[in-house]
Amino acid sequence: MPSVIKEFTKGLWDELPPFRVVLGLCPTLAVTSTAENGLGMGAAVLFVLTLSNAIISALRKIIPGKVRIACFIVIAASLVVAVELLMQAYTYSLYQRLGIFVPLIVVNCIILGRAEAFASRNGVIPSIADGLGMGLGFTMSLTFLGALRETLGNGTVFGIPVPWEAFRPAHLMVMAPGAFICLGLILAGMNAFNRHMSRRKGEIPTEPKNAACASCAACNLCATARKEN
Amino acid sequence: MVASSILVLFLLGLTAAAILAVASRLLHVAEDPRVARVEACLPGANCGGCGYPGCSAAAAAVVDGTAPAEVCIVGNIETSQRIAAIMGAEVHFKEPRVATNICSGGDRANLIFDYKGVEDCRAEALLYGGEKSCGIGCIGLGTCVKVCPFNALRLSEAGVPVVDWNACRSCGKCAEACPTGAIRISSVTSVLLHLNQTDDCLAPCMQKCPAQINVRRYIQQIKQKDLRGALLTIKEHNPLPLIAGRICPAPCENICRRKIVDEGVAIHTLQRFVADWEMQSGIRVPLYCNPPSGHKVAIIGGGPTGLSCAYFLRRVGHEPTIFERREHIGGMMRGVIPEYRLPKKVVDWEVQTILNLGVETRTGVAFGRDVTLKDLEREGFEAVLIATGAWKVPPLGIENDDAEGVVDAISFLERFGREGPDMSGVRVVVVGGSNTAIDVARSARRQNALVTVLVPAIQRKMTANKDEVERALEIGADLRFLTAPLALHVENGAVSGVTYCDLAYDDPGKAAGEPKPVSGTKAFIEADLVVAASDRVVDHSLFTDADGNPLFKRDKKTGGVSANPTTLQTDIPNVFVGGEVHTGRNILIQAVADGRRAARAIHFHVTRGAVPEPDNQQVQVIPETILKNMHVTYTIPRVQVPLTPLEERRISFKEEVACSISYDVARKEASRCLRCGLTCYDADAGAEYTQDDDVRPIDRPGSE
Amino acid sequence: MEYLMLFISAIFINNIVLVQYLGTCPFMGTSKSTDVAIGMGAAVIFVMLMAVAFTWPLQHYVLTPYGIGYLQTIVFILVIASLVQFVELFLKKVIPPLHASLGLFLPLITTNCAVMGVAIMVQRGEYPFFKALLFSLATGLGFLIALVIISSIRERLDISPVPAVFRGIPVALITAGVMSLVFLAFQGMAA
Repeated sequence: MPSVIKEFTKGLWDELPPFRVVLGLCPTLAVTSTAENGLGMGAAVLFVLTLSNAIISALRKIIPGKVRIACFIVIAASLVVAVELLMQAYTYSLYQRLGIFVPLIVVNCIILGRAEAFASRNGVIPSIADGLGMGLGFTMSLTFLGALRETLGNGTVFGIPVPWEAFRPAHLMVMAPGAFICLGLILAGMNAFNRHMSRRKGEIPTEPKNAACASCAACNLCATARKEN
Repeated sequence: MVASSILVLFLLGLTAAAILAVASRLLHVAEDPRVARVEACLPGANCGGCGYPGCSAAAAAVVDGTAPAEVCIVGNIETSQRIAAIMGAEVHFKEPRVATNICSGGDRANLIFDYKGVEDCRAEALLYGGEKSCGIGCIGLGTCVKVCPFNALRLSEAGVPVVDWNACRSCGKCAEACPTGAIRISSVTSVLLHLNQTDDCLAPCMQKCPAQINVRRYIQQIKQKDLRGALLTIKEHNPLPLIAGRICPAPCENICRRKIVDEGVAIHTLQRFVADWEMQSGIRVPLYCNPPSGHKVAIIGGGPTGLSCAYFLRRVGHEPTIFERREHIGGMMRGVIPEYRLPKKVVDWEVQTILNLGVETRTGVAFGRDVTLKDLEREGFEAVLIATGAWKVPPLGIENDDAEGVVDAISFLERFGREGPDMSGVRVVVVGGSNTAIDVARSARRQNALVTVLVPAIQRKMTANKDEVERALEIGADLRFLTAPLALHVENGAVSGVTYCDLAYDDPGKAAGEPKPVSGTKAFIEADLVVAASDRVVDHSLFTDADGNPLFKRDKKTGGVSANPTTLQTDIPNVFVGGEVHTGRNILIQAVADGRRAARAIHFHVTRGAVPEPDNQQVQVIPETILKNMHVTYTIPRVQVPLTPLEERRISFKEEVACSISYDVARKEASRCLRCGLTCYDADAGAEYTQDDDVRPIDRPGSE
Repeated sequence: MEYLMLFISAIFINNIVLVQYLGTCPFMGTSKSTDVAIGMGAAVIFVMLMAVAFTWPLQHYVLTPYGIGYLQTIVFILVIASLVQFVELFLKKVIPPLHASLGLFLPLITTNCAVMGVAIMVQRGEYPFFKALLFSLATGLGFLIALVIISSIRERLDISPVPAVFRGIPVALITAGVMSLVFLAFQGMAA
């Protein structure tokens, strides 16, 4: 049981996507113009990730190694279609706002990355814990980034204006440049925080995990990443 | 709709799968499965050091047969063995290589401007070659550290890169990135066979020394009490430090920068100290040798050139055999140079060190008489080094020079070395001003002969070592400077005396050129024995083919066998020549240097079939390294080597005249070294000895 | 004229990475050196064209007529994945030199959202076939241009004194932000 809790909590801080392990950048940048969008995207990813992890780990003994990537993609794609239909049915306006990025969840490397690195090697329960943790971490990060950009760019959080009269929002922050710059600053901030913490613990500051290839979309296909795992 | 969805997806999946299945069958490229297996052996760093675009390309080349099993330069011998196992091939020996920094200057160098730009050596080098005045030194912004894929480099406090040789995989990235060439990839072979280049960091001593010994490094190692390291440093260039430390006239000390402020560092005394340390410990420091390469080389002559060449060839992996005419290896060093200068046991120890590496010897075999070039070729020797020396003493060329009682210096010294006869009361006249002449004079004098030397020069223009002339005078030899014999007098068939005349230079102040006889001067001296020691020349009669035609051209200037000066290759491509047989009468360290140079040429000849000329070879002393002004803080007196007292020298023949020094003395002498670079130097060398009474700050004019 | 506008707009005004946020993962991952960036960009252009050429007929002759448009995502990803696989096999056999230069990048593209994104965008924009092909070519070119620019900047950044916490991805992201700001200026051109 403690191991399940560990699998769950690692996604919340130690391997928090996309800040600690730089995965799934496209939606992170694209949909975080508001906190609400970020939350919605995060929830969709959480749903797909947890279920795909569960299904893949359940089927991991049946899926032949040679075509496993194709199988993972089909499973993820089916789940994404389900999410699309659900969102169309219940939160159509959000579906409209997220636009093309909902179908693109299928190529989000968090899904394939976790499938390859974790679900295909572990049992159903730990895989669900892993998916939930990672998904929840992703949701939190996206909501945080969305809230930050919305505040700076629009002067609101979840559509509610911030109670500060003198604040003049910079519209730039909700546009593409703001997304890149915000994420860059947050990553730098995380690095600074980690260095501070490890220095306090008296350890040698380490570079963020996979700093060199973390952002590459193809970790599941890449020889280097496979070696590290 | 449900049915159509299922159907469409099913059909689509089926089609895609079918197409891919068919395609993979039809478009199958017959890929050698060994490629993947070879690639799995490779480190996967994709560094490109092997010359292929990546590990997979290298693997493909190996399977293709275009690359050998030892293609990967960052992998170790195990990598090669595993690949060879897959390929069913044999592993050839792969010489380990590492990156090495040649710059010792660091922050000592003068700045020509203050650089404040991109922190990258390559960027800084674009501006006048960097802020440091030295064009070849390390710029110190650590580009090499950044490009190293294996984290094997760091910058030292002085701002020069330090290589972690355990981590370095010799991929060459650092050397490629370095704009000044201060960091290079080196191997045992490249270090042992490297010839000075004008873009090396060369202190004046290292340029002047014919053997190009890394003086700066071994003196620093002595200072750090790393005597083993110092010995290995010397042996990168000179396999005979015991001998060179005793009889080398040390041209390096004359050009030493410390001479500008006080006296040159006693470099050869320190070399002897290191070598004596090894011999007195009784245990030979192991020398790394590459495993045998299968290339056999014949070396004619077991003197310093032959020994040096055999030593270097053996260390880089070849299999030399020395052919020696006499019964002992060692040439003139053993038996001709007298005991009190160079004891036999010292020579034997040094020779044994070299032979222990795996050098074969055949004694009592004379070239031309017992063995010819044809025989050697037939026996499988791929190259031949002729190093027979210059043993012929030309006759005096005056009246009665073939009378009884007239001997040449070499036979005299050889006989003396064997027998050491009592010569009380014998009147000996020696003709010549070389070390040989002085050796004859000293030997005869020590056995109580009455010795007169007719020296055709003034004292400071003699070719003999200055110290040795002093020793001869101390012991009571009568040196008559600026004289030459005119005729020998004969009584009852034996020599009885010499008439000689005075000589004079055209310009006595400068004493330049050859002195000429002064007409009208004539003197007579009685003699029982006349020793001709004016010169030693090459005996060309050895080098003739079956029809009696000469094998080689004769060099007009030196009188030796002519050859390419860099590669020492003669007109016969697989025959090389070195030492006195090429240069004419010369000093020992030149012979050692020739042996090394010949080893380099032979190495390239047997491995590549051609001998490349080195780039930017340093031939003359680089002018910018000769400084006019020095700002040195402390003056420290040069070490005085203790000598055996005169009385003892008269009674004993075996005792060495010059004695050893202790470590503390050696260390203080080593601290006099300014650790010179091409232009930089340590201004406050010796600061740790300021407590001593004899170490004083130098008063600089205008400083107070 | 309309086609020219579309072409320019797809390269600059609606640059796929810097304005539309698609393909940011390879944009960050493969932009450490210019050589790799060029290879990746060329491979993306190639696969994008192929993907649109195959998915467009599927959408128009299968999915829409049978009213199963909701299967778009799953069908497209299947087609693209198989296509990439097929292209790799094909190039290896028929044009080995091209495979040698692009082969390394092809597997990376399966999960590149830019390719999938373009396939979906041409359907949402309801472009006719040739316009769709032109659009995908221009988009791919836009990707290549953005990738080459940022890789050059990152090569230069490597030798700059960047504060330690900003090294690597953070400074690359901020650089991308500034580039994106520049590309925003093209929007003024279109207006």
